[in-house]
Amino acid sequence: MTGIDEIGMKYFLEIPQKEIEEIRDTIKATSIKVTAENIERMKKTTPNRPETMTYFDGISDFFGQREHEIRVAKEEGKKVIGYMCMFAPIELILAADAIPVQVNSGWFDATKLGDRIVPVEVCPIIRSTIGAKMVGLSPYLELSDTIINTLTCDGMTKLGEILSDHKPIWTMCPPRVKDSPQSMVLWREELKTVKQKIEDLTGNKITEKEFRSAIELRQRATKAFRRLQDIRKGSPVIMGRDAMLVNQTSAWDDIKRWTQKTEELCDELEKRIQQKMWAYPPDTPRVMITGTPMVWPDNWKLPNLIEESNPQGVLVADELCSSDRLLYDPVGVDEWTMDDMFNAVAERYLLTSTCPCFTSKDGNEDRINWLLNRLKEFRVDGVIYHVVRGCMLYAMEYTRIKRILDHRNVPVYYLDTEYTREDVGQMKTRVEAFIEMLKAKVEI
Amino acid sequence: MMGIIAEMLQAIIAVGIVIAGILATIVGVKDRTKKISCLRVFVQTISLSIIFLGLIIGPFGLTKYPPIGNAPRDMLIGTSILGAPFPDGLSVPTMACYYPSGRTMTCVLWQIQSYIFPFWDAGKGWGVNYVSSGLERLAITFGLLMVMSIVLGRFFCGWICPFGFYMDLITRVRKIMKVRHRNLSERLNEGLRQLRYLIIAAILLLSFIFGAEAIVGIHLVSGTEYKGFIYQYFSAPFCQICPMRPLCVPIEGALGWMNLNYVFSQTTGQFYEIGYYVTSLNVLVLILVTIGAFVLRRFWCRFCPLGGLIAVFNRFVPFKWASVVRLYKEEEKCTKCGICKRVCTPQVTEVYEEKGGDVTTSGCILCFRCVEMCPYEDCLKINVAGKTVFKSKNWLNLSK
Repeated sequence: MTGIDEIGMKYFLEIPQKEIEEIRDTIKATSIKVTAENIERMKKTTPNRPETMTYFDGISDFFGQREHEIRVAKEEGKKVIGYMCMFAPIELILAADAIPVQVNSGWFDATKLGDRIVPVEVCPIIRSTIGAKMVGLSPYLELSDTIINTLTCDGMTKLGEILSDHKPIWTMCPPRVKDSPQSMVLWREELKTVKQKIEDLTGNKITEKEFRSAIELRQRATKAFRRLQDIRKGSPVIMGRDAMLVNQTSAWDDIKRWTQKTEELCDELEKRIQQKMWAYPPDTPRVMITGTPMVWPDNWKLPNLIEESNPQGVLVADELCSSDRLLYDPVGVDEWTMDDMFNAVAERYLLTSTCPCFTSKDGNEDRINWLLNRLKEFRVDGVIYHVVRGCMLYAMEYTRIKRILDHRNVPVYYLDTEYTREDVGQMKTRVEAFIEMLKAKVEI
Repeated sequence: MMGIIAEMLQAIIAVGIVIAGILATIVGVKDRTKKISCLRVFVQTISLSIIFLGLIIGPFGLTKYPPIGNAPRDMLIGTSILGAPFPDGLSVPTMACYYPSGRTMTCVLWQIQSYIFPFWDAGKGWGVNYVSSGLERLAITFGLLMVMSIVLGRFFCGWICPFGFYMDLITRVRKIMKVRHRNLSERLNEGLRQLRYLIIAAILLLSFIFGAEAIVGIHLVSGTEYKGFIYQYFSAPFCQICPMRPLCVPIEGALGWMNLNYVFSQTTGQFYEIGYYVTSLNVLVLILVTIGAFVLRRFWCRFCPLGGLIAVFNRFVPFKWASVVRLYKEEEKCTKCGICKRVCTPQVTEVYEEKGGDVTTSGCILCFRCVEMCPYEDCLKINVAGKTVFKSKNWLNLSK
């Protein structure tokens, strides 16, 4: 009998090289087409789209400029550290002069490959990421030297295990309760371990100076991000999809350049505010999305539908860990000692998170507060609760969120979907009905 | 005459340099996470000079080396309050100390203790004459304490108290040395906070026991009689272990406003090896607290009986309803990021843990560091009589 180790790969199937290449090329071609199509649609909705968006359009291409840059940097000896979830301590990666890059997959077609390994009931983000790995589709995943996997939901927990057939995986286990005294202890230890691993991999010791400049780099990114959010709060100069794309590209772009470009975008938008050059009529119903993250490029269905629907809606804010949550919270350092910086980073990642994988005696109240605050600040007319099939944690929190939003007279609509293009027509009807309802309310 | 003018000029120039320097830092500070802190250092410096040197460097030009009883405080301040003779100066709940010559105000704790014993009855005090009874003087002291506690609360601790300033300076030294600070466990910290009330009770009880003869006519402890050992050297028991006394007396002496030769020449036995104002217990406590403050931020404030007294008159019902300076938190804007908890020097956890509303607590020294560091616009607010004075801002806007 063979022992566990002798079987070799734990999950992955042997697929002939030719088939792999065929599938990869097909999906890649579709992906490039979909990316171009999405951008085209965004341009069509706003004929006077900000010019700086051209940069973000370029960087949103997975098989373009950024892939090339990372490849070159890697050849020059830099390490690439991929991450699944926004719990990965990016400041530490930056401080060790490595490249952080998010590797989650948004490709619809890759889910079918993933179905060969995990059942269809599993969250499509997980299945798609597995599928992408099976055929080596995602350039960022392929270029990563290692992947930081945070065990947040069930899907993420097993995803790391499955991918470990091909990649070194560093797991980080966030405690499910944030505010007990022992949870911070656990989380700090997890972070310490990862820090050590990053240092070993890159061969760079994380010094106080490097760490500080990495934190300040990310603080500047947060500053730019918040500036864009403030603009969205006020005048209708940018479509929600554009802002969402800007936010999402920060997960793989060079953060310094991203900050600079976002500031440029804000400058441009501020000029437009003075010229009163609106991107959409000011009385457009303002929609907020919450729920499962939406990963570029394929899962862009809902934003497209909202902003192209008739009557038109606009996406003013969201509570997605693929967008607004990425950069909202800064690392606040009291004393610039290694110890305090480290604690600040640890707290920033654990305590500010509104992920439904957490619970407390008051439930996941941080998420509710986040939503309520945005309802007020962004003058939201209605909330769409986006859940992909298999995303249990978000689905289970819906009842409570609905009760609270009902209490505040904010319409909320539960929209469940899949990684598929087939339900777009049906979704369109549902979204348009919801926005029409909001519109009627706005007109009253 | 010329001497006085020269001294005044000297003093004005000295203070001017300090003020100009600090003002320059305030204007120059672009970093929003440092603005309130810098303002606080400024206020602390000014308070320090006013508290200890106010009467000497001010326009009064009073004599150097005044004999006991003729200290400037006794000449100018507090000779009467509301018609009642009150010769020991304005009672202010800071570690302002009774002993140095130039100080303009008096530590409340010294007054509370010494009016019970040994100066319950009207008559001769340390160089002054008390016309009114101890009870009357105590009523005035507590009245002043109550008013000041309700109005400013522990703002005294964060912004005015010279000993708090001393500990802040130690923290600054530690930061320059790049040494990390430690935290006490929340339970121990809470225990220390309760210890304050125990210390207050012990002080009152001890003073009462010593003064029992004058108050209820029973002689309890030997040495409490006139010119006895306790009468002479162990009145005001807390002052014998207070860490502030060995700090301010030598500093004022070194600046030339007290005759140190005289102070230190009079060593009178037990505890008083260092001089008649400073006991060896004082020095020991000061050393311990200094080490403590190097390791833990605002170490003394966690169990300071004066802070406890302010807390009683500020955070306890019914005074709580009338307190003027309050810290508010808006629940919806709070993301529970933990910054307020981490930056808090006396390790107050309520600001983080409470859901929202009035989050002022008895342990809070109102230094406003949490308000300054909170990165969410309008989440934390300092309200003075209902008006917002400081509020948290998106401090990223101005950092480089």
